[in-house]
Amino acid sequence: MAGLELLSDQGYRVDGRRAGELRKIQARMGVFAQADGSAYIEQGNTKALAVVYGPHEIRGSRARALPDRALVNCQYSSATFSTGERKRRPHGDRKSCEMGLQLRQTFEAAILTQLHPRSQIDIYVLQADGGTYAACVNAATLAVLDAGIPMRDFVCACSAGFVDGTALADLSHVEEAAGGPQLALALLPASGQIALLEMDARLHEDHLERVLEAAAQAARDVHTLLDRVVRQHVREASILLGD
Amino acid sequence: MLQKREKVLLLRTFQGRTLRIVREHYLRPCVPCHSPLCPQPAACSHDGKLLSSDVTHYVIPDWKVVQDYLEILEFPELKGIIFMQTACQAVQHQRGRRQYNKLRNLLKDARHDCILFANEFQQCCYLPRERGESMEKWQTRSIYNAAVWYYHHCQDRMPIVMVTEDEEAIQQYGSETEGVFVITFKGILNVNKHRAQIEAFVRLQGASSKDSDLVSDILIHGMKARNRSIHGDVVVVELLPKNEWKGRTVALCENDCDDKASGESPSEPMPTGRVVGILQKNWRDYVVTFPSKEEVQSQGKNAQKILVTPWDYRIPKIRISTQQAETLQDFRVVVRIDSWESTSVYPNGHFVRVLGRIGDLEGEIATILVENSISVIPFSEAQMCEMPVNTPESPWKVSPEEEQKRKDLRKSHLVFSIDPKGCEDVDDTLSVRTLNNGNLELGVHIADVTHFVAPNSYIDIEARTRATTYYLADRRYDMLPSVLSADLCSLLGGVDRYAVSIMWELDKASYEIKKVWYGRTIIRSAYKLFYEAAQELLDGNLSVVDDIPEFKDLDEKSRQAKLEELVWAIGKLTDIARHVRAKRDGCGALELEGVEVCVQLDDKKNIHDLIPKQPLEVHETVAECMILANHWVAKKIWESFPHQALLRQHPPPHQEFFSELRECAKAKGFFIDTRSNKTLADSLDNANDPHDPIVNRLLRSMATQAMSNALYFSTGSCAEEEFHHYGLALDKYTHFTSPIRRYSDIVVHRLLMAAISKDKKMEIKGNLFSNKDLEELCRHINNRNQAAQHSQKQSTELFQCMYFKDKDPATEERCISDGVIYSIRTNGVLLFIPRFGIKGAAYLKNKDGLVISCGPDSCSEWKPGSLQRFQNKITSTTTDGESVTFHLFDHVTVRISIQASRCHSDTIRLEIISNKPYKIPNTELIHQSSPLLKSELVKEVTKSVEEAQLAQEVKVNIIQEEYQEYRQTKGRSLYTLLEEIRDLALLDVSNNYGI
Repeated sequence: MAGLELLSDQGYRVDGRRAGELRKIQARMGVFAQADGSAYIEQGNTKALAVVYGPHEIRGSRARALPDRALVNCQYSSATFSTGERKRRPHGDRKSCEMGLQLRQTFEAAILTQLHPRSQIDIYVLQADGGTYAACVNAATLAVLDAGIPMRDFVCACSAGFVDGTALADLSHVEEAAGGPQLALALLPASGQIALLEMDARLHEDHLERVLEAAAQAARDVHTLLDRVVRQHVREASILLGD
Repeated sequence: MLQKREKVLLLRTFQGRTLRIVREHYLRPCVPCHSPLCPQPAACSHDGKLLSSDVTHYVIPDWKVVQDYLEILEFPELKGIIFMQTACQAVQHQRGRRQYNKLRNLLKDARHDCILFANEFQQCCYLPRERGESMEKWQTRSIYNAAVWYYHHCQDRMPIVMVTEDEEAIQQYGSETEGVFVITFKGILNVNKHRAQIEAFVRLQGASSKDSDLVSDILIHGMKARNRSIHGDVVVVELLPKNEWKGRTVALCENDCDDKASGESPSEPMPTGRVVGILQKNWRDYVVTFPSKEEVQSQGKNAQKILVTPWDYRIPKIRISTQQAETLQDFRVVVRIDSWESTSVYPNGHFVRVLGRIGDLEGEIATILVENSISVIPFSEAQMCEMPVNTPESPWKVSPEEEQKRKDLRKSHLVFSIDPKGCEDVDDTLSVRTLNNGNLELGVHIADVTHFVAPNSYIDIEARTRATTYYLADRRYDMLPSVLSADLCSLLGGVDRYAVSIMWELDKASYEIKKVWYGRTIIRSAYKLFYEAAQELLDGNLSVVDDIPEFKDLDEKSRQAKLEELVWAIGKLTDIARHVRAKRDGCGALELEGVEVCVQLDDKKNIHDLIPKQPLEVHETVAECMILANHWVAKKIWESFPHQALLRQHPPPHQEFFSELRECAKAKGFFIDTRSNKTLADSLDNANDPHDPIVNRLLRSMATQAMSNALYFSTGSCAEEEFHHYGLALDKYTHFTSPIRRYSDIVVHRLLMAAISKDKKMEIKGNLFSNKDLEELCRHINNRNQAAQHSQKQSTELFQCMYFKDKDPATEERCISDGVIYSIRTNGVLLFIPRFGIKGAAYLKNKDGLVISCGPDSCSEWKPGSLQRFQNKITSTTTDGESVTFHLFDHVTVRISIQASRCHSDTIRLEIISNKPYKIPNTELIHQSSPLLKSELVKEVTKSVEEAQLAQEVKVNIIQEEYQEYRQTKGRSLYTLLEEIRDLALLDVSNNYGI
């Protein structure tokens, strides 16, 4: 079998999207009652669940408490059934550690942590299937919003790839697996600030601009969608409150 | 705006586990259709090339077509092609990157008028694959669905043709949507032998179309429509619109006057088309003749290029460039075709080798061989080295190891063979004895050729290539070297031989088969009888004993005892055979035997030997035993290897082919019921005119011609219902009993041996053919068999012509004979001459437009007038009012002459010289005169031999050799005849059209 053709001559990707098109995004906020904030998001077949506890007092060793701002604590774990091969990933697995760290950096940049000195915010993300980072960030954003923690802006993340001179937005698992350059971008859409930018593979500098732009555009698209979800949620909540 | 669907894929991992993967699949409402007819160009947002707007229809190739015939689709002449995404992906997955890149380049190339339609991303075109649906089915379904959508998308303004090879798809989708046609037109070009310039027919390999059910062949009218294809090519045909359809010409005509014939009123218009492409060229070596000196000169001075005329009428003239035209002009020459430019009327070729002088026997025989692609070089040294030695110095002996492995029947069984007189290659022997429990044991012992011919040895490969022994009128070309065919594999009397045996245990009274045993044996045939002697013994006439060499050296007493034993065995065999036969008759076996012998004689085979043989019962006995053996072996190998056994099928004939037979019979007041083999046999028996036995013979020969021919096939590629053998009324049949002269039997022997070791749980030695290889082999053997029959027929015709050539038709009494009309055409009749077994055409209207008339003395003259054709008679009326009518089955007197031809084979010409029978149509007379005739013929040719030494010498040999030859393997063995009859039914299609 010849290698999979990621982008056909007619401009279609393997799953039928065009280069700049996102996968289908569906999201819901407030899925758990006992957590302070929670959200569920589906991006294509990638499904992520995020819960937020806090801000609350530091648990465990008090030494960790920061004097001037809140501690953001992120934990990432994926379900055993979420990948192609079924594999138990205990905590502390390298990949989830890294992911947790990235999430933490992202949200430390977004949350107004100085408002809650010496306290802790926990974000737990459960995750399934490809395009992980972006989905996690988007889910966590919604969860943090649901918890009512003040943020500078939404954090919207999206991945982007580069195939045959064209930048592809929102990579699916197949496209990720093909092994091209892949860039993850977390954006604060209102200001256009970048919360996190991460890329492992090599990509020529000349192309970076375009890929970045594609990812940013996709992130802005995600923002519109998330915004719509939040508004919808608020509207529903206010109706329930009898406002 | 996108719709998300999920696609479930089941993948197999490297560990062999199945992995279920769910992938997203996004559908959109607007996919660019790249058609200028698109109603919403804005929505479709075309970029890139559009299909051109001047095409008459769009073509959508099926995935399979895209995969296999991409080269054809690459032709820039093909316009308006829509490649479906489904098809492209199939190419990518199954044909690899190379092929796929070719397709991509094709799509990118602005000069090619083709586009890709991403049907799988279109929300209306996408069809999810159903559970359990095969990939192929789904692809075809998707493509068809997309084609329908596309048609409606273009607001039904452009017809769409989906091209597929899948029969089922055609049936299923062919008539679903109007405007979307599902077709495949592919067939083999058959050029009409008799009107080579004008008519050719394409027999479809599979066809269906909506506007007409094309059951018949397609007529290709004229050289231009034939588009440079040559007889035998596999071509693609385009049907012409109905108003351009033409009828075939029914009038008789000769090869050199085609143009006149076209003026005749044609029959019903039939589907007419033109060739649009050649899928597979079937060029081979062609025998040609250089033009004579005068013709060369008339061709002009630039004689470097010369048009040569092929021996086969169906092949166009070939242009070759040579300096030796003059020296070669009396020779038959082999050429090959190299190319055929689209601007040229004739193909280009080159000279290969010289065969022999025109008219020379050897040269003509070589011509026949080349024309049938038969190569008969002597066996090579390497091949002969594999052969066992059997010389007087080192005689071949039964080896002790073999003695261990095989069952020894030398002492226990009385084995004997019954064959034609003088037969050398005895491949079957029989035995019968009473067992201790009172039951009977019948044995058929066949020469063990496979013991000597190892699979894939040099000799095996050679035998496979030859596939059969070729019998020409005067010689034969053996499949195996004579050390095997005439010696070690020949089950001669009094010597030890290896055999493969089948032994049945039969109930003593009811002859029910109780047990059967297959295996390798050693036998020693006690008697090598010939049919006549065996029949005499059976009839209780013991005087023939003196003719049997085995009895010569015995004293009276032991002789008596042995004789009794033998007579008992023959009697018992006959009894058993009768019983088995009766059982088969009950199932509806076609009573062809007695009849078919006559047909055999009719069929120009035994011109020098015209005795309508009274079949002896012994013939039938031997034949029945062989059929029984073949049947049981077929059952055995099929049970052991249900997917890779070689069997022989005889499909039931098409009813429409019988229409001529029914018409003819009706003319004589008979009714032929052709519904089943049984009713056919019965009604043929009833259709007997007591005054004219020839009527029955002709009807039967027509019935034979209407039947399809028996073929070898591999069981893996056929449904079990199709295994049936129509003529013999057996559910399974194969060829097992003549391994010396048929390769199919060798294959069957190996299969049987493998089946035996499989039963014993032993490892199967050597690998058997897979279904695919076996299918290929069967095709080859069938093809070779056909070539063998053609060459045999052609060589016999050659000898007939040579026989009549020396005679002056005006004076020679032999050239005037009695003929029977068996078919009527617009300008003549077809005649059968029982005396020589010749079939031919006679004109009632000659080239000058004069018609035949018979005066009161019933002698014919040519006079101006007209012909009128009716259902079963033809009337010729002269201008002065005389008229003469010829009915079907009328006897007339004909004169036989030879029409010499330089470039082709000579042909026999018939001319009606009187409308009265030549002699009183008394059957006895004909029958009695025949043997007389034979000896006369022999004498005559011998006489002419003495007169003209050189060429005629050959002819003496012919007669003697032929005599032996026929005895040997062709001859009286009813069984072999029976087998050939099936094959005879194949007779050229073009024959039927032509005359």
